[in-house]
Amino acid sequence: MPSVNVVNGKQIIVDDAGPFQRFFRFFGRPFARMWHHRDLLQAILRRELADRFKGSVAGWVWAVVAPLLAIAVYTLAFSGRLQLPEQYMVAKDPNLSYALFILSGIIVFNFWSEMAFRAPMLLHEYAHFIKQTIFPSDMLAVISTARATLYTLISITVLLIFQVCVLRSLPWTLVLLPLIFLPFVAFLIGMSWFLCAIGAFTRDAGYLMINIVPLFMFATPVFYHQSMFGPPWDIVIYANALTGFVEVMRDIMLVGKLPNMAVYGWTLGISVFSFYFGYWFFDRYRNVIVDVL
Amino acid sequence: MSSSTSSDIVVQARHLGKAYQLYAHRNDWLKQVMFGWAKTYYKPFWVLRDVDLQVKRGESIGILGRNGCGKSTLLQVICGMTLPSHGELRVTGRIAPVLALGSTFDLELSGRQNVMIGGAVLGLKRRDILRKFESIADFAGIGDYMDQPVKHYSMGMRTRLAFSICAHVEAEILVVDEALAVGDAAFQRKCLDWIDSFRQTGTLLFVSHSMAEVRRLCSRAIWIEEGRIREQGDPNEVIRSYHRALLVEKDDVQRFTAHS
Repeated sequence: MPSVNVVNGKQIIVDDAGPFQRFFRFFGRPFARMWHHRDLLQAILRRELADRFKGSVAGWVWAVVAPLLAIAVYTLAFSGRLQLPEQYMVAKDPNLSYALFILSGIIVFNFWSEMAFRAPMLLHEYAHFIKQTIFPSDMLAVISTARATLYTLISITVLLIFQVCVLRSLPWTLVLLPLIFLPFVAFLIGMSWFLCAIGAFTRDAGYLMINIVPLFMFATPVFYHQSMFGPPWDIVIYANALTGFVEVMRDIMLVGKLPNMAVYGWTLGISVFSFYFGYWFFDRYRNVIVDVL
Repeated sequence: MSSSTSSDIVVQARHLGKAYQLYAHRNDWLKQVMFGWAKTYYKPFWVLRDVDLQVKRGESIGILGRNGCGKSTLLQVICGMTLPSHGELRVTGRIAPVLALGSTFDLELSGRQNVMIGGAVLGLKRRDILRKFESIADFAGIGDYMDQPVKHYSMGMRTRLAFSICAHVEAEILVVDEALAVGDAAFQRKCLDWIDSFRQTGTLLFVSHSMAEVRRLCSRAIWIEEGRIREQGDPNEVIRSYHRALLVEKDDVQRFTAHS
């Protein structure tokens, strides 16, 4: 794909495609580009991973210590103070059940919040690449999500090991984890595309996220269960896309039951929408962004 | 048109124009993004106007002009970093941009790691970089510094490493923007020799303020002024009239102001 074809400020695709073909090309394009730039993705991801713990002696140990600390704090802080539905009392000791319940929620939330904080500044971070080389700027959202995915997988592993220690078993539904985890990753990539395009234009997006993210910690059922709210508030709480992801992840990782299909369908729909809307939005403004940065 | 077929033309630009958007108020871009279909909120600042350019395979073209005349923007548009606002552009072949050398280096990472990233950004496959690594290190000639963080490098060493990466991309079109000014004389000569041998097979677009380099490397020169091509043709003639103009016309401080 080395050639540039431009007519009147619009990039043109030489071969003539009907609306039907264009439709399918649109859906395949993000994946085609990821595949095309796979070596670049890998090289920058390596740099990002080296970057995260730059100058730290313990390095990767922090990625393991953080969820362990979280378990300890939540067990202490919430012992006996939470009302949970019966199904979540997976451990004999209720305090351990709370810890598992909260940790599983916080893993999802942290994954989201890392992306929400970083995405608005993402293009600024890589401005020198975007302005001075031929750089696929849409791949940055993919790379940063991939990095956060790795840390989330470490946290999930710690959670599962903790579960094995406490419960001596893991639910069989764990094999279904990719079915919710991959859509969640797609959801976050889409969100990053949208936020980083906005963030390129204005620093306000970054400041806004700093204010909004802590609120979402309580708007999302991390420390409580969504059944606390009856109608009509349950609609509000499910309108927050994170609720669905938290619920399905908990069902699969802790309780060991199949998720409510309506909720699962809702999260899938949000993921697909976020991914393609984010890409469409980014693609629409990518050429303006180069001149704005 | 002579006997050249269309496949011989690697860069074809017609009526190429590039306008940056200048906003009177800081937040007017937001209105532009939302209501741009109804009203224009910016003043266009035309950096390039009506540039017609045809580059054939194997040509080497020197681009002359004063600061801010649009040379670099022209190269950026040709490389595809930024879209032209007007006109047509067709570029065929793999481009290696040698612009702002070393500006993409991560100062904390070692030279070796930066080679991996820099090569990937220029479109090299990982195994290609690994295969060529010895050759890249040899060309840069910075020895054991290769495994030191780039922040300990001098400007000259950064330029050496960055040029060395670009030299190994196996591009068909090389775009060089005043890149060699930092290196010492010996390294500059090495680069010029390399560019000389590149010209045997590839196409060269070369921006420089050193007329000697342009004379040595280019088969055609283009003089750009205020975003327009003022003169093009034989390097010696273009350089002569460019020099004459520099002496006669004084430095115009008004030229960075937007005219509507």
